[in-house]
Amino acid sequence: MRTSRTQEIWVGIFVALGMLALFVLALRVSNYSSYTNGNQYHVYVYFENIGGLKVRSPVTLSGVTVGRVTSIDYDPDSLQAKVELGIEEKYNFLSTDTAASIYTAGLLGEQYIALEPGAEDETLAEGDEIIHSQSAMVLEELIGQFLVKMSSK
Amino acid sequence: MRYGQLREPAFGVARSVQYAPQTLRKVTGCPLPTMAPYAAMDETHISIEQVSFSRGDRLIFDGISMEIPRGRITAIMGPSGTGKTTLLRLIGGQLVPDSGRVLVNGLEVASLSRRRLYELRKRMGMLFQSGALLTDLSVFENVAFPLREHSRMPEDMIRDMVLMKLQAVGLRGATELMPAELSGGMARRVALARSIVLDPEMIMYDEPFTGLDPITMGTIVTLIKRLNRALGITSLLVSHDVEETLSIADHVILISAGKVVEAGLPAELAASASPWVQQFIQGLPDGPVPFHYPAPDPLEQFLGGDHA
Amino acid sequence: MLDLFAGLGAATLSALQRTGRGFIFLLRTLAGVPLLLARPGLLVKELFSTGVQSLLIILVSGLFVGMVLGLQGYVTLSKFGAEESLGVMVALSLVRELGPVVTALLFAGRAGSALTAEIGLMKSTEQLSGMEMMAVDPIHRVIAPRLTAGFIAMPILAALFSAVGILGGYLVGVGLLGVDAGSFMSQMQAGVDWRIDVLNGVIKSIAFGFVVTWIAVFEGYDAVPTSEGVSQATTRTVVHSALAVLALDFVLTGLMFT
Repeated sequence: MRTSRTQEIWVGIFVALGMLALFVLALRVSNYSSYTNGNQYHVYVYFENIGGLKVRSPVTLSGVTVGRVTSIDYDPDSLQAKVELGIEEKYNFLSTDTAASIYTAGLLGEQYIALEPGAEDETLAEGDEIIHSQSAMVLEELIGQFLVKMSSK
Repeated sequence: MRYGQLREPAFGVARSVQYAPQTLRKVTGCPLPTMAPYAAMDETHISIEQVSFSRGDRLIFDGISMEIPRGRITAIMGPSGTGKTTLLRLIGGQLVPDSGRVLVNGLEVASLSRRRLYELRKRMGMLFQSGALLTDLSVFENVAFPLREHSRMPEDMIRDMVLMKLQAVGLRGATELMPAELSGGMARRVALARSIVLDPEMIMYDEPFTGLDPITMGTIVTLIKRLNRALGITSLLVSHDVEETLSIADHVILISAGKVVEAGLPAELAASASPWVQQFIQGLPDGPVPFHYPAPDPLEQFLGGDHA
Repeated sequence: MLDLFAGLGAATLSALQRTGRGFIFLLRTLAGVPLLLARPGLLVKELFSTGVQSLLIILVSGLFVGMVLGLQGYVTLSKFGAEESLGVMVALSLVRELGPVVTALLFAGRAGSALTAEIGLMKSTEQLSGMEMMAVDPIHRVIAPRLTAGFIAMPILAALFSAVGILGGYLVGVGLLGVDAGSFMSQMQAGVDWRIDVLNGVIKSIAFGFVVTWIAVFEGYDAVPTSEGVSQATTRTVVHSALAVLALDFVLTGLMFT
């Protein structure tokens, strides 16, 4: 039994449309284009408190996204949070004394890691550790400090 | 039974059934190929041994037994609801008997593996009452269906085969029609062409005469007879159309209430002394089979006042 | 009182039996799927009737659902001064939930009911039985291509629904209500994750397609072969598919997004 040619053409169009739709969803709607898993290098950074930081939170350099948080763990030796950052290979010029801070996008927005390059000539490579870190600002703590200051006056 | 005996008016009944080869040639328009099918005619093709079958609580067959000879037309007759179609499904392996055996070519149908059963079915044709044509395929594709499913024939060979079989049923001109455009009789002829396209060794006809006009009925009668005589196909005919069936059957089995009531030549049946057989064959409304469905006493029911 | 228990028992048993039949049926069908590789023509035919012929309703519904999301989202978001988030909201709602779920419901109504009715009618006109007598397994010849086609068509339809819906949201948000096109797109791209949102949505739609088609072909195959039986089976397909899709959606969402 054969299928008519029009049917074959229509099914072809149908499947092509479906692929196009998936393609659009992937490339235009989602952040697929920022997935460049193949060429990343990983560095570690320890924080006292990571606040609301999550895996896949962005890592930025002067506001430009250069990577993502790839894993978050608690390190029992240093009693700190150990955060692994995946940074794209093309940003391989970060000096070893780069500082990492956790900031919040907007007052209540999602949290991200901002990197600030230092002055050393040596650059970070796979498996290195960022020594300078600044923990997340926790709103409650800030308010607490503020209240303490106010009452001590 | 030898056919020589059939010509003797032994039972004093003048049925117009004749089996002389000369007459046959005239009826079918086909030359008789050889006498080979007749030589083997006493061989049993299908045998049903002590088969019981029930559907739900209703017992349909109660230890029924019969033998269907190879190369002949055997008719199974009986009132509606006696499980004639069920019998065909038992033979085709679509139903499994509760007890007893159904043997085709000496093989027990119910115990065959799926693959062997399908091998067997390729050699069985079945003509359904409705035709059972595939509604999304044209007449041509319907007839070609078994070939496409079971063989890897080249397209032009399929075409020739299909046209040949359609020619045999007189519908070579209808190849492009869809089943919905066919009349009941045409659909049945297409279905017949389809069931012989694999050159089966037996065909089962389920009520082939029901709901047809006289001309179409005549066509189908002729076709069944011609297929049997020309190709030596064992034909099993299930019907309650007495006259047509008796006119072509070599052998008739009457069943009722799950049992074989009478079996024999058409002429023997017509001469039977059994009042039941007479009632069935002559179509009398009342007799051993009562006109009324079992009901309480009429006086009681009509005059009983409250319906409690 | 005893009658009540007897009724409950009988209902439970028949439901169990049906489920069992459904699974055996599924296994036999799946066994027939590899045979389709030799007969791709059968699949093309079914893809045409389940997929292509559902295109129109899916595209139109997707567009309207997206446009409504755009309108509603804008009204709510503008109260918080967050109109720029319209893109994320529309895209996430569609990709994660509405795309797969609404497509599956429409698919059950459009293609599922047609499948049940077709197979049920084939059964009641003895076509399936006739195939068996021609030594052709109707489960392989009729059911397997239809199940496979539904399985393939559903994710494609869901992806189209989401894509068209986002377009609808964009048209309303950017074109009609004056949300900034750049922030619509950039917020959307930042907020929608390829793996968590898009891929999980696709997985959902595959699961729904499978369940809906399975229910549809089983109901058809298992239908009482009368016109009343077929019409009841068709109704059951739509109702059971809808319930199954919504329940499954809850389970899958729980597994994927928490």
